[in-house]
Amino acid sequence: MELFIQQLVSGVSIGAIYALLAVGYALVYSVYNFTNWAFDAFMAFGAFMAFVGISSLFMPFWLAMILSILLTILLSVGAESMAYRPLRERKAPRLFMMISAMGVNLAVVNIINLIFGGTFRKFPVESVQPIFVGNVSIGRMDLIAGLISFGVLALLWLFLYRTRWGLGIRASAIDIQTAALMGINNNAVAIIIFVITGVLSAIAGVFYGIKYAVYPMMGIVTIKAMIASIVGGLGSLPAAIVGSMLLGVLETLVSGYISSSYRDLFSFLFLIVILLFFPNGLMGKNVDEKL
Amino acid sequence: MPATSALLEIHDLSVYYGGIRALHGVSLRVERGEIVAVIGANGAGKSTLMKTIAAVKSYQNGTIFFEGQPLPKDTHKVVTSGITLVPEGRRIFAPLSVRENLLVGAYTRSNRQDLEKNMEEVFQLFPRLKERIHQRGGTLSGGEQQMLAVGRALMSQPKLLMLDEPSLGLAPIVIDAMFETIVRLNRDLGLTILLVEQNASLALELCHRAYVLKTGEIVMEGTGKDLLEDPRVRASYLGIK
Ligand SMILES: Nc1ncnc2c1ncn2[C@@H]1O[C@H](COP(=O)(O)OP(=O)(O)O)[C@@H](O)[C@H]1O
Ligand SMILES: [Mg+2]
Repeated sequence: MELFIQQLVSGVSIGAIYALLAVGYALVYSVYNFTNWAFDAFMAFGAFMAFVGISSLFMPFWLAMILSILLTILLSVGAESMAYRPLRERKAPRLFMMISAMGVNLAVVNIINLIFGGTFRKFPVESVQPIFVGNVSIGRMDLIAGLISFGVLALLWLFLYRTRWGLGIRASAIDIQTAALMGINNNAVAIIIFVITGVLSAIAGVFYGIKYAVYPMMGIVTIKAMIASIVGGLGSLPAAIVGSMLLGVLETLVSGYISSSYRDLFSFLFLIVILLFFPNGLMGKNVDEKL
Repeated sequence: MPATSALLEIHDLSVYYGGIRALHGVSLRVERGEIVAVIGANGAGKSTLMKTIAAVKSYQNGTIFFEGQPLPKDTHKVVTSGITLVPEGRRIFAPLSVRENLLVGAYTRSNRQDLEKNMEEVFQLFPRLKERIHQRGGTLSGGEQQMLAVGRALMSQPKLLMLDEPSLGLAPIVIDAMFETIVRLNRDLGLTILLVEQNASLALELCHRAYVLKTGEIVMEGTGKDLLEDPRVRASYLGIK
Protein backbone atom coordinates (compact mmCIF):
# COMPACT_ATOMS: atom_id res chain seq x y z
CA MET A 1 0.00 0.00 0.00
CA GLU A 2 2.78 2.44 0.92
CA LEU A 3 4.57 1.62 -2.29
CA PHE A 4 1.39 2.22 -4.25
CA ILE A 5 0.88 5.67 -2.70
CA GLN A 6 4.52 6.57 -3.33
CA GLN A 7 4.08 5.54 -6.95
CA LEU A 8 0.93 7.60 -7.20
CA VAL A 9 2.64 10.75 -5.93
CA SER A 10 5.58 10.22 -8.23
CA GLY A 11 3.17 9.62 -11.12
CA VAL A 12 1.26 12.81 -10.44
CA SER A 13 4.49 14.81 -10.33
CA ILE A 14 5.68 13.47 -13.69
CA GLY A 15 2.12 13.94 -14.96
CA ALA A 16 2.32 17.59 -13.90
CA ILE A 17 5.46 18.01 -16.03
CA TYR A 18 3.70 16.41 -19.00
CA ALA A 19 0.79 18.77 -18.34
CA LEU A 20 3.03 21.85 -18.62
CA LEU A 21 4.26 20.59 -21.98
CA ALA A 22 0.84 19.51 -23.23
CA VAL A 23 -0.67 22.87 -22.33
CA GLY A 24 2.16 24.65 -24.14
CA TYR A 25 1.40 22.73 -27.32
CA ALA A 26 -2.34 23.21 -26.95
CA LEU A 27 -1.99 26.97 -26.48
CA VAL A 28 0.00 27.50 -29.68
CA TYR A 29 -2.12 25.01 -31.60
CA SER A 30 -5.38 26.59 -30.51
CA VAL A 31 -4.49 29.99 -31.94
CA TYR A 32 -2.19 29.19 -34.87
CA ASN A 33 -3.26 25.67 -35.86
CA PHE A 34 0.29 24.42 -36.07
CA THR A 35 2.32 22.15 -33.83
CA ASN A 36 5.26 24.04 -32.40
CA TRP A 37 7.94 21.43 -33.00
CA ALA A 38 10.53 23.76 -31.48
CA PHE A 39 8.92 23.37 -28.08
CA ASP A 40 11.00 20.35 -27.05
CA ALA A 41 14.20 22.21 -27.88
CA PHE A 42 13.04 25.08 -25.63
CA MET A 43 12.59 22.53 -22.87
CA ALA A 44 16.16 21.24 -23.24
CA PHE A 45 17.41 24.81 -23.46
CA GLY A 46 15.62 25.67 -20.20
CA ALA A 47 17.15 22.67 -18.44
CA PHE A 48 20.66 23.56 -19.67
CA MET A 49 20.35 27.20 -18.64
CA ALA A 50 19.40 26.20 -15.09
CA PHE A 51 22.22 23.65 -15.16
CA VAL A 52 24.72 26.37 -16.12
CA GLY A 53 23.28 28.73 -13.52
CA ILE A 54 23.90 26.23 -10.74
CA SER A 55 27.10 24.49 -11.80
CA SER A 56 29.00 27.38 -13.45
CA LEU A 57 27.50 30.52 -11.90
CA PHE A 58 26.96 28.90 -8.47
CA MET A 59 23.44 30.21 -8.21
CA PRO A 60 20.98 28.83 -5.71
CA PHE A 61 18.31 26.62 -7.29
CA TRP A 62 15.53 29.22 -7.31
CA LEU A 63 17.73 31.85 -8.95
CA ALA A 64 18.90 29.40 -11.62
CA MET A 65 15.24 28.60 -12.25
CA ILE A 66 14.43 32.28 -12.79
CA LEU A 67 17.44 32.69 -15.09
CA SER A 68 16.32 29.66 -17.08
CA ILE A 69 12.75 30.98 -17.37
CA LEU A 70 13.89 34.43 -18.54
CA LEU A 71 16.30 33.08 -21.14
CA THR A 72 13.78 30.55 -22.43
CA ILE A 73 11.19 33.34 -22.78
CA LEU A 74 13.74 35.23 -24.90
CA LEU A 75 14.34 32.16 -27.05
CA SER A 76 10.63 31.47 -27.45
CA VAL A 77 9.73 35.06 -28.34
CA GLY A 78 12.79 35.22 -30.60
CA ALA A 79 11.58 32.15 -32.50
CA GLU A 80 8.14 33.75 -32.80
CA SER A 81 9.41 37.02 -34.19
CA MET A 82 12.08 35.55 -36.49
CA ALA A 83 10.69 32.18 -37.58
CA TYR A 84 6.90 32.35 -37.24
CA ARG A 85 5.72 35.95 -37.57
CA PRO A 86 7.28 36.57 -41.00
CA LEU A 87 5.51 33.45 -42.28
CA ARG A 88 2.23 34.45 -40.68
CA GLU A 89 2.42 37.89 -42.23
CA ARG A 90 2.92 36.30 -45.63
CA LYS A 91 -0.10 34.08 -44.92
CA ALA A 92 2.02 30.94 -45.34
CA PRO A 93 0.28 27.55 -45.05
CA ARG A 94 0.63 25.94 -41.65
CA LEU A 95 2.88 23.22 -43.05
CA PHE A 96 5.49 25.95 -43.58
CA MET A 97 5.09 27.02 -39.96
CA MET A 98 5.75 23.48 -38.79
CA ILE A 99 8.80 23.14 -41.00
CA SER A 100 10.08 26.45 -39.70
CA ALA A 101 9.53 25.18 -36.16
CA MET A 102 11.48 22.02 -36.97
CA GLY A 103 14.29 24.23 -38.22
CA VAL A 104 14.34 26.14 -34.94
CA ASN A 105 14.34 22.84 -33.09
CA LEU A 106 17.31 21.46 -35.06
CA ALA A 107 19.27 24.67 -34.66
CA VAL A 108 18.73 24.93 -30.89
CA VAL A 109 19.37 21.25 -30.13
CA ASN A 110 22.53 21.21 -32.24
CA ILE A 111 23.90 24.40 -30.71
CA ILE A 112 23.34 22.91 -27.27
CA ASN A 113 25.05 19.73 -28.44
CA LEU A 114 27.98 21.71 -29.82
CA ILE A 115 28.51 23.66 -26.61
CA PHE A 116 27.79 21.02 -23.99
CA GLY A 117 28.28 17.74 -25.83
CA GLY A 118 25.74 14.96 -26.03
CA THR A 119 26.40 13.26 -22.70
CA PHE A 120 23.78 12.69 -20.02
CA ARG A 121 24.39 14.90 -17.02
CA LYS A 122 22.98 14.67 -13.56
CA PHE A 123 21.17 17.85 -12.61
CA PRO A 124 23.24 19.50 -9.84
CA VAL A 125 20.82 19.43 -6.91
CA GLU A 126 21.73 17.58 -3.73
CA SER A 127 19.46 14.65 -3.13
CA VAL A 128 17.55 15.77 -0.09
CA GLN A 129 15.89 13.56 2.48
CA PRO A 130 12.41 12.48 1.44
CA ILE A 131 9.48 13.59 3.55
CA PHE A 132 7.71 10.86 5.52
CA VAL A 133 3.96 10.86 5.89
CA GLY A 134 3.38 7.84 8.10
CA ASN A 135 5.30 5.08 6.33
CA VAL A 136 5.00 6.74 2.94
CA SER A 137 8.14 8.49 1.75
CA ILE A 138 7.67 11.30 -0.73
CA GLY A 139 10.56 12.68 -2.75
CA ARG A 140 11.03 16.34 -1.92
CA MET A 141 11.69 17.22 -5.56
CA ASP A 142 8.59 15.31 -6.66
CA LEU A 143 6.62 17.42 -4.26
CA ILE A 144 8.20 20.70 -5.37
CA ALA A 145 7.83 19.79 -9.05
CA GLY A 146 4.18 18.89 -8.56
CA LEU A 147 3.35 21.98 -6.51
CA ILE A 148 5.10 24.45 -8.80
CA SER A 149 3.64 22.86 -11.92
CA PHE A 150 0.12 22.93 -10.56
CA GLY A 151 0.66 26.46 -9.28
CA VAL A 152 1.76 27.60 -12.73
CA LEU A 153 -1.19 25.88 -14.39
CA ALA A 154 -3.57 27.52 -11.91
CA LEU A 155 -2.04 30.94 -12.62
CA LEU A 156 -2.38 30.31 -16.33
CA TRP A 157 -6.04 29.42 -15.85
CA LEU A 158 -6.63 32.63 -13.89
CA PHE A 159 -4.85 34.60 -16.60
CA LEU A 160 -6.89 33.07 -19.43
CA TYR A 161 -10.28 33.20 -17.71
CA ARG A 162 -10.08 36.20 -15.43
CA THR A 163 -8.15 38.88 -17.31
CA ARG A 164 -8.72 41.10 -20.31
CA TRP A 165 -5.63 39.75 -22.09
CA GLY A 166 -6.75 36.21 -21.37
CA LEU A 167 -10.10 36.96 -22.99
CA GLY A 168 -8.24 38.39 -25.97
CA ILE A 169 -6.28 35.15 -26.31
CA ARG A 170 -9.41 33.02 -26.05
CA ALA A 171 -11.14 35.17 -28.67
CA SER A 172 -8.08 34.88 -30.93
CA ALA A 173 -8.15 31.09 -30.53
CA ILE A 174 -11.72 31.07 -31.81
CA ASP A 175 -11.38 33.50 -34.71
CA ILE A 176 -8.17 35.48 -35.02
CA GLN A 177 -9.40 37.79 -37.77
CA THR A 178 -12.56 38.81 -35.96
CA ALA A 179 -10.47 39.28 -32.82
CA ALA A 180 -8.42 41.83 -34.77
CA LEU A 181 -11.64 43.51 -35.92
CA MET A 182 -12.44 43.98 -32.23
CA GLY A 183 -9.17 45.82 -31.74
CA ILE A 184 -7.01 42.94 -30.52
CA ASN A 185 -3.42 43.23 -31.72
CA ASN A 186 -2.59 39.82 -33.22
CA ASN A 187 1.15 40.28 -32.78
CA ALA A 188 0.80 41.27 -29.14
CA VAL A 189 -1.27 38.13 -28.55
CA ALA A 190 1.47 36.08 -30.23
CA ILE A 191 4.10 37.54 -27.93
CA ILE A 192 2.02 36.78 -24.84
CA ILE A 193 1.48 33.21 -26.02
CA PHE A 194 5.16 32.64 -26.69
CA VAL A 195 6.13 34.16 -23.34
CA ILE A 196 3.77 31.67 -21.70
CA THR A 197 5.15 28.72 -23.66
CA GLY A 198 8.67 29.86 -22.76
CA VAL A 199 7.80 29.75 -19.07
CA LEU A 200 6.08 26.37 -19.39
CA SER A 201 8.92 24.72 -21.29
CA ALA A 202 11.63 26.05 -18.98
CA ILE A 203 9.90 24.79 -15.85
CA ALA A 204 9.14 21.43 -17.45
CA GLY A 205 12.75 21.17 -18.64
CA VAL A 206 14.23 21.86 -15.23
CA PHE A 207 12.02 19.40 -13.36
CA TYR A 208 12.36 16.73 -16.01
CA GLY A 209 16.13 17.24 -15.91
CA ILE A 210 16.10 16.78 -12.13
CA LYS A 211 13.98 13.64 -12.34
CA TYR A 212 15.97 11.97 -15.12
CA ALA A 213 18.96 13.70 -16.71
CA VAL A 214 20.01 16.76 -18.68
CA TYR A 215 21.02 16.09 -22.30
CA PRO A 216 20.45 17.83 -25.65
CA MET A 217 17.82 15.35 -26.85
CA MET A 218 15.86 15.33 -23.58
CA GLY A 219 12.99 17.14 -25.34
CA ILE A 220 12.07 13.83 -26.95
CA VAL A 221 9.85 13.36 -23.90
CA THR A 222 7.41 15.88 -25.37
CA ILE A 223 6.07 12.93 -27.38
CA LYS A 224 4.48 11.94 -24.06
CA ALA A 225 2.81 15.32 -23.83
CA MET A 226 1.42 14.72 -27.31
CA ILE A 227 0.06 11.34 -26.25
CA ALA A 228 -1.41 12.96 -23.16
CA SER A 229 -3.18 15.68 -25.16
CA ILE A 230 -4.61 13.13 -27.60
CA VAL A 231 -5.76 10.89 -24.75
CA GLY A 232 -7.40 13.86 -23.04
CA GLY A 233 -8.89 15.34 -26.20
CA LEU A 234 -6.91 17.44 -28.63
CA GLY A 235 -6.80 21.21 -28.28
CA SER A 236 -8.50 21.56 -24.90
CA LEU A 237 -6.44 22.71 -21.91
CA PRO A 238 -8.31 20.85 -19.13
CA ALA A 239 -8.26 17.69 -21.26
CA ALA A 240 -4.51 18.03 -21.74
CA ILE A 241 -4.06 18.20 -17.97
CA VAL A 242 -6.27 15.17 -17.27
CA GLY A 243 -4.55 13.14 -19.99
CA SER A 244 -1.15 14.06 -18.58
CA MET A 245 -2.05 12.97 -15.05
CA LEU A 246 -3.39 9.63 -16.26
CA LEU A 247 -0.31 9.00 -18.36
CA GLY A 248 2.10 10.00 -15.58
CA VAL A 249 0.42 7.69 -13.07
CA LEU A 250 0.16 4.81 -15.55
CA GLU A 251 3.84 5.09 -16.39
CA THR A 252 5.05 5.07 -12.81
CA LEU A 253 2.81 2.14 -11.96
CA VAL A 254 4.13 0.18 -14.94
CA SER A 255 7.73 1.04 -14.00
CA GLY A 256 7.12 0.16 -10.37
CA TYR A 257 5.16 -3.08 -10.72
CA ILE A 258 6.19 -4.44 -14.11
CA SER A 259 9.39 -3.00 -15.55
CA SER A 260 10.58 0.41 -16.57
CA SER A 261 11.64 -0.98 -19.95
CA TYR A 262 7.96 -1.58 -20.78
CA ARG A 263 6.97 1.93 -19.74
CA ASP A 264 6.84 3.47 -23.20
CA LEU A 265 5.22 0.38 -24.67
CA PHE A 266 2.38 0.79 -22.21
CA SER A 267 2.09 4.51 -22.97
CA PHE A 268 1.47 3.82 -26.63
CA LEU A 269 -0.83 0.88 -25.85
CA PHE A 270 -2.79 3.20 -23.59
CA LEU A 271 -3.12 5.71 -26.42
CA ILE A 272 -4.37 3.05 -28.83
CA VAL A 273 -6.87 1.58 -26.37
CA ILE A 274 -8.26 4.99 -25.46
CA LEU A 275 -8.63 5.96 -29.11
CA LEU A 276 -10.43 2.67 -29.83
CA PHE A 277 -13.13 3.52 -27.32
CA PHE A 278 -12.97 7.34 -27.37
CA PRO A 279 -11.93 8.46 -30.86
CA ASN A 280 -11.98 12.12 -29.73
CA GLY A 281 -10.06 11.42 -26.54
CA LEU A 282 -11.59 11.13 -23.07
CA MET A 283 -12.88 14.69 -22.89
CA GLY A 284 -12.85 15.56 -26.58
CA LYS A 285 -15.80 17.68 -27.56
CA ASN A 286 -16.73 20.21 -30.20
CA VAL A 287 -13.82 21.41 -32.26
CA ASP A 288 -14.96 25.02 -31.80
CA GLU A 289 -14.24 24.94 -28.09
CA LYS A 290 -10.50 25.10 -28.05
CA LEU A 291 -9.39 26.69 -24.81
CA MET B 1 -5.52 65.63 -50.04
CA PRO B 2 -7.06 68.83 -48.78
CA ALA B 3 -8.40 68.67 -45.24
CA THR B 4 -12.16 68.32 -45.34
CA SER B 5 -14.90 68.23 -42.77
CA ALA B 6 -15.96 64.69 -43.70
CA LEU B 7 -15.55 61.98 -41.06
CA LEU B 8 -14.45 59.42 -43.63
CA GLU B 9 -13.08 60.39 -47.02
CA ILE B 10 -12.03 57.77 -49.55
CA HIS B 11 -10.39 58.86 -52.76
CA ASP B 12 -9.62 56.81 -55.88
CA LEU B 13 -9.33 53.50 -54.05
CA SER B 14 -8.27 50.38 -55.97
CA VAL B 15 -8.03 46.93 -54.45
CA TYR B 16 -6.85 43.66 -56.00
CA TYR B 17 -7.02 39.99 -55.10
CA GLY B 18 -3.89 38.72 -56.78
CA GLY B 19 -4.31 40.01 -60.32
CA ILE B 20 -8.07 40.38 -60.08
CA ARG B 21 -9.39 43.87 -59.49
CA ALA B 22 -12.16 44.00 -56.89
CA LEU B 23 -12.43 47.79 -56.46
CA HIS B 24 -11.54 50.38 -59.06
CA GLY B 25 -11.17 54.10 -58.39
CA VAL B 26 -13.74 54.17 -55.61
CA SER B 27 -14.32 57.57 -54.01
CA LEU B 28 -16.82 58.15 -51.25
CA ARG B 29 -17.31 60.22 -48.16
CA VAL B 30 -19.26 59.92 -44.94
CA GLU B 31 -20.19 63.08 -43.02
CA ARG B 32 -20.62 63.12 -39.27
CA GLY B 33 -24.13 62.07 -38.25
CA GLU B 34 -25.00 60.46 -41.57
CA ILE B 35 -26.18 57.01 -42.51
CA VAL B 36 -24.51 56.19 -45.80
CA ALA B 37 -25.44 53.05 -47.71
CA VAL B 38 -23.52 51.24 -50.43
CA ILE B 39 -25.75 48.97 -52.45
CA GLY B 40 -24.71 46.47 -55.08
CA ALA B 41 -25.27 42.94 -56.29
CA ASN B 42 -23.49 39.89 -54.96
CA GLY B 43 -19.80 40.13 -55.87
CA ALA B 44 -19.88 43.88 -56.53
CA GLY B 45 -17.10 44.48 -53.99
CA LYS B 46 -19.10 45.64 -50.97
CA SER B 47 -17.35 43.41 -48.45
CA THR B 48 -14.01 44.22 -50.02
CA LEU B 49 -14.70 47.89 -49.38
CA MET B 50 -15.57 47.22 -45.73
CA LYS B 51 -12.51 45.00 -45.24
CA THR B 52 -10.24 47.57 -46.84
CA ILE B 53 -11.44 50.34 -44.54
CA ALA B 54 -11.04 47.95 -41.58
CA ALA B 55 -7.46 47.24 -42.79
CA VAL B 56 -8.10 43.51 -43.08
CA LYS B 57 -7.37 43.88 -46.79
CA SER B 58 -4.56 46.06 -48.07
CA TYR B 59 -5.01 48.49 -50.97
CA GLN B 60 -2.72 49.29 -53.84
CA ASN B 61 -3.93 52.71 -54.81
CA GLY B 62 -5.85 55.64 -53.33
CA THR B 63 -6.26 57.28 -49.94
CA ILE B 64 -8.47 56.79 -46.92
CA PHE B 65 -8.77 59.70 -44.49
CA PHE B 66 -10.56 59.49 -41.17
CA GLU B 67 -11.08 62.69 -39.18
CA GLY B 68 -8.63 64.36 -41.53
CA GLN B 69 -5.86 61.84 -40.81
CA PRO B 70 -4.65 58.94 -42.96
CA LEU B 71 -6.26 55.77 -41.65
CA PRO B 72 -3.81 53.34 -39.94
CA LYS B 73 -2.95 50.13 -41.84
CA ASP B 74 -3.22 47.77 -38.88
CA THR B 75 -6.64 46.29 -38.17
CA HIS B 76 -6.51 46.84 -34.42
CA LYS B 77 -5.36 50.45 -34.85
CA VAL B 78 -8.35 51.23 -37.07
CA VAL B 79 -10.56 50.16 -34.15
CA THR B 80 -8.58 52.34 -31.75
CA SER B 81 -8.98 55.31 -34.04
CA GLY B 82 -12.76 54.90 -33.95
CA ILE B 83 -14.05 52.63 -36.74
CA THR B 84 -15.63 49.28 -35.87
CA LEU B 85 -16.95 46.80 -38.42
CA VAL B 86 -19.80 44.37 -37.86
CA PRO B 87 -18.55 41.74 -40.32
CA GLU B 88 -20.64 39.89 -42.87
CA GLY B 89 -22.10 36.73 -41.37
CA ARG B 90 -21.83 38.24 -37.83
CA ARG B 91 -18.76 36.21 -36.80
CA ILE B 92 -19.62 36.16 -33.13
CA PHE B 93 -17.38 34.09 -30.83
CA ALA B 94 -19.60 31.01 -30.56
CA PRO B 95 -17.98 29.33 -27.52
CA LEU B 96 -17.89 32.56 -25.49
CA SER B 97 -20.87 33.76 -23.47
CA VAL B 98 -22.90 36.78 -24.56
CA ARG B 99 -21.23 38.80 -21.82
CA GLU B 100 -17.74 37.72 -22.90
CA ASN B 101 -18.54 38.56 -26.52
CA LEU B 102 -19.48 42.07 -25.42
CA LEU B 103 -16.31 42.34 -23.33
CA VAL B 104 -14.18 41.39 -26.33
CA GLY B 105 -15.89 44.26 -28.13
CA ALA B 106 -14.72 46.57 -25.35
CA TYR B 107 -11.12 45.32 -25.62
CA THR B 108 -9.65 48.64 -26.76
CA ARG B 109 -11.49 50.75 -24.22
CA SER B 110 -9.30 52.64 -21.80
CA ASN B 111 -12.10 54.01 -19.60
CA ARG B 112 -13.10 50.68 -18.18
CA GLN B 113 -15.18 52.06 -15.32
CA ASP B 114 -18.00 52.87 -17.72
CA LEU B 115 -18.02 49.34 -19.10
CA GLU B 116 -20.98 48.04 -17.11
CA LYS B 117 -22.96 51.19 -17.87
CA ASN B 118 -22.18 50.79 -21.55
CA MET B 119 -23.27 47.16 -21.42
CA GLU B 120 -26.56 48.24 -19.85
CA GLU B 121 -27.07 50.61 -22.78
CA VAL B 122 -26.57 47.72 -25.18
CA PHE B 123 -29.09 45.67 -23.18
CA GLN B 124 -31.60 48.54 -23.41
CA LEU B 125 -31.20 48.42 -27.17
CA PHE B 126 -31.41 44.62 -27.26
CA PRO B 127 -33.23 43.31 -24.15
CA ARG B 128 -33.04 39.77 -25.57
CA LEU B 129 -29.28 39.80 -25.03
CA LYS B 130 -29.70 40.49 -21.35
CA GLU B 131 -31.95 37.46 -20.96
CA ARG B 132 -29.23 35.35 -22.57
CA ILE B 133 -26.23 37.01 -20.91
CA HIS B 134 -24.63 33.77 -19.69
CA GLN B 135 -25.55 31.68 -22.72
CA ARG B 136 -22.90 30.76 -25.26
CA GLY B 137 -23.06 32.97 -28.33
CA GLY B 138 -23.36 29.93 -30.57
CA THR B 139 -26.69 28.93 -29.03
CA LEU B 140 -28.40 32.19 -30.06
CA SER B 141 -30.76 32.46 -33.03
CA GLY B 142 -29.60 34.26 -36.17
CA GLY B 143 -31.39 37.48 -35.21
CA GLU B 144 -29.98 37.40 -31.69
CA GLN B 145 -26.50 36.78 -33.07
CA GLN B 146 -26.86 39.87 -35.27
CA MET B 147 -27.92 41.85 -32.18
CA LEU B 148 -24.87 40.52 -30.37
CA ALA B 149 -22.60 41.43 -33.28
CA VAL B 150 -23.94 45.00 -33.30
CA GLY B 151 -23.85 45.22 -29.51
CA ARG B 152 -20.28 43.94 -29.47
CA ALA B 153 -19.24 46.61 -31.96
CA LEU B 154 -21.00 49.31 -29.94
CA MET B 155 -18.98 48.31 -26.86
CA SER B 156 -15.92 49.81 -28.55
CA GLN B 157 -17.76 53.17 -28.64
CA PRO B 158 -17.00 53.79 -32.32
CA LYS B 159 -17.23 57.12 -34.07
CA LEU B 160 -18.11 55.27 -37.25
CA LEU B 161 -20.03 52.00 -37.19
CA MET B 162 -19.74 49.88 -40.33
CA LEU B 163 -22.25 47.14 -41.06
CA ASP B 164 -21.70 44.49 -43.73
CA GLU B 165 -25.08 43.11 -44.83
CA PRO B 166 -26.87 43.19 -41.48
CA SER B 167 -29.97 41.66 -43.11
CA LEU B 168 -28.19 38.57 -44.44
CA GLY B 169 -29.99 35.33 -43.59
CA LEU B 170 -32.56 36.91 -41.27
CA ALA B 171 -36.36 36.60 -41.32
CA PRO B 172 -38.17 39.71 -42.64
CA ILE B 173 -39.64 40.67 -39.25
CA VAL B 174 -36.20 40.39 -37.62
CA ILE B 175 -34.69 42.51 -40.42
CA ASP B 176 -37.27 45.25 -39.78
CA ALA B 177 -36.40 45.34 -36.09
CA MET B 178 -32.68 45.45 -36.87
CA PHE B 179 -33.08 48.34 -39.28
CA GLU B 180 -35.24 50.22 -36.79
CA THR B 181 -32.43 49.87 -34.28
CA ILE B 182 -29.92 51.16 -36.82
CA VAL B 183 -32.06 54.25 -37.41
CA ARG B 184 -32.40 54.75 -33.66
CA LEU B 185 -28.65 54.49 -33.13
CA ASN B 186 -28.20 57.24 -35.67
CA ARG B 187 -31.12 59.49 -34.70
CA ASP B 188 -31.03 59.16 -30.91
CA LEU B 189 -27.34 58.61 -30.25
CA GLY B 190 -25.95 60.53 -33.21
CA LEU B 191 -23.86 57.57 -34.38
CA THR B 192 -22.44 57.81 -37.89
CA ILE B 193 -23.10 54.65 -39.90
CA LEU B 194 -21.74 53.21 -43.13
CA LEU B 195 -23.63 50.16 -44.27
CA VAL B 196 -23.45 47.90 -47.31
CA GLU B 197 -26.46 45.91 -48.41
CA GLN B 198 -27.70 43.68 -51.17
CA ASN B 199 -31.20 44.40 -49.88
CA ALA B 200 -31.34 47.74 -51.70
CA SER B 201 -34.86 48.92 -50.92
CA LEU B 202 -34.35 48.61 -47.18
CA ALA B 203 -30.99 50.33 -47.26
CA LEU B 204 -32.19 53.20 -49.46
CA GLU B 205 -35.22 53.83 -47.26
CA LEU B 206 -33.23 54.37 -44.11
CA CYS B 207 -30.07 56.06 -45.37
CA HIS B 208 -29.38 59.73 -45.95
CA ARG B 209 -27.13 59.14 -48.94
CA ALA B 210 -26.17 56.11 -50.95
CA TYR B 211 -23.71 54.87 -53.54
CA VAL B 212 -24.30 52.17 -56.10
CA LEU B 213 -21.37 49.80 -56.54
CA LYS B 214 -21.17 47.73 -59.71
CA THR B 215 -18.29 45.32 -60.39
CA GLY B 216 -15.95 47.36 -58.24
CA GLU B 217 -16.90 50.82 -59.46
CA ILE B 218 -19.21 53.49 -58.08
CA VAL B 219 -21.74 54.03 -60.86
CA MET B 220 -24.26 56.28 -59.10
CA GLU B 221 -24.67 58.32 -55.98
CA GLY B 222 -27.39 60.42 -54.42
CA THR B 223 -29.81 60.69 -51.55
CA GLY B 224 -31.66 57.54 -50.61
CA LYS B 225 -34.90 59.11 -51.83
CA ASP B 226 -33.48 60.07 -55.23
CA LEU B 227 -32.05 56.63 -55.82
CA LEU B 228 -35.29 54.94 -54.77
CA GLU B 229 -37.02 56.91 -57.55
CA ASP B 230 -34.31 56.47 -60.15
CA PRO B 231 -35.60 54.22 -62.95
CA ARG B 232 -32.23 52.48 -63.45
CA VAL B 233 -31.93 51.67 -59.76
CA ARG B 234 -35.55 50.54 -59.70
CA ALA B 235 -34.97 48.20 -62.61
CA SER B 236 -31.59 46.75 -61.57
CA TYR B 237 -31.72 46.70 -57.78
CA LEU B 238 -35.34 46.93 -56.69
CA GLY B 239 -36.81 44.60 -59.29
CA ILE B 240 -39.43 47.17 -60.32
CA LYS B 241 -40.05 47.78 -64.00
N1 LIG C 1 -10.36 36.33 -50.77
C1 LIG C 1 -10.63 36.56 -52.08
N2 LIG C 1 -9.80 36.10 -53.02
C2 LIG C 1 -10.05 36.31 -54.34
N3 LIG C 1 -11.11 37.00 -54.79
C3 LIG C 1 -11.98 37.47 -53.89
C4 LIG C 1 -11.79 37.29 -52.48
N4 LIG C 1 -12.82 37.86 -51.82
C5 LIG C 1 -13.61 38.40 -52.77
N5 LIG C 1 -13.11 38.17 -54.00
C6 LIG C 1 -13.70 38.63 -55.27
O1 LIG C 1 -13.85 40.04 -55.22
C7 LIG C 1 -15.08 40.43 -55.75
C8 LIG C 1 -15.86 41.23 -54.73
O2 LIG C 1 -16.21 40.38 -53.65
P1 LIG C 1 -16.94 40.93 -52.35
O3 LIG C 1 -16.29 42.16 -51.92
O4 LIG C 1 -17.03 39.82 -51.37
O5 LIG C 1 -18.39 41.25 -52.93
P2 LIG C 1 -19.76 41.53 -52.18
O6 LIG C 1 -19.51 41.68 -50.75
O7 LIG C 1 -20.29 42.76 -52.83
O8 LIG C 1 -20.64 40.34 -52.46
C9 LIG C 1 -15.79 39.17 -56.20
O9 LIG C 1 -15.59 39.00 -57.58
C10 LIG C 1 -15.11 38.08 -55.43
O10 LIG C 1 -15.11 36.89 -56.16
MG1 LIG D 1 -20.25 40.67 -49.14
